[in-house]
Amino acid sequence: MRKKGEVFLFLFIGAFIGSDLRYLESLIFKTSSGFPLGTIVANLSGALVLPFLIHYLQDRFNLSKRVILTLSTGVLGSYTTFSTFTADAYRLYNSGQWVFLLIYLTITMIGGFLVAILGNYWAASRAFNDYVKREGRKK
Amino acid sequence: MNFLIVGVGASIGAFFRNELTLIQAKIKIDFPIITMLINISGAIILGILTAQIRNGAILLLLGTGFCGGFTTFGTFNMELSQLWFQHQIWRCFWYFVLTYVFGILGFVIGIHI
Repeated sequence: MRKKGEVFLFLFIGAFIGSDLRYLESLIFKTSSGFPLGTIVANLSGALVLPFLIHYLQDRFNLSKRVILTLSTGVLGSYTTFSTFTADAYRLYNSGQWVFLLIYLTITMIGGFLVAILGNYWAASRAFNDYVKREGRKK
Repeated sequence: MNFLIVGVGASIGAFFRNELTLIQAKIKIDFPIITMLINISGAIILGILTAQIRNGAILLLLGTGFCGGFTTFGTFNMELSQLWFQHQIWRCFWYFVLTYVFGILGFVIGIHI
């Protein structure tokens, strides 16, 4: 990508979509107890899909640098958030919702890592299946 | 209207994140330090904003929008998984610990400044 303006345009479109999806989920998954379910849904689904995009979809559909920038840095980068996670955690701590705080930290910290690992296996598994199909056709 | 505010803020945040990420390729440190600094500084900024700003629309623009778009959870965890698959277990461990400890601490510091 040559021009800074071009990069900004693609990022703009991607980040716009990603952040609004996150915002929409924060409204849909609003809980009466104040448990930040929306942030969990956005962060975990985004962390699962990102490795799948980078390690499978990119090669499978020959996605250009532009499309990858829009989808990974733009959409998924803005769809997921770290700052809101810290704010949620502080809010639960401050209001003395200890059980919620513990559940929230565990799901985000352990769950985020596990779904990213899972996303890599998902990508590898799909790539392997494609390979088997391709080799099968040759024979 | 709120969707427009969030989207614009996040786009600017994502642009800054992308600019900073380009530095990672230039420096010869085998550790995702840029993403870590982005996430920690974004948490500090959100803490400051949460404490200082009372206007809902501006908080939506700069907090949910800018800070939300600037920081990222997806890239952080993908980098963690990459370190894991590369058998760089200690780097993976420290990346995890440092990001979470200083991220949460950063927000708390930001809110009390």
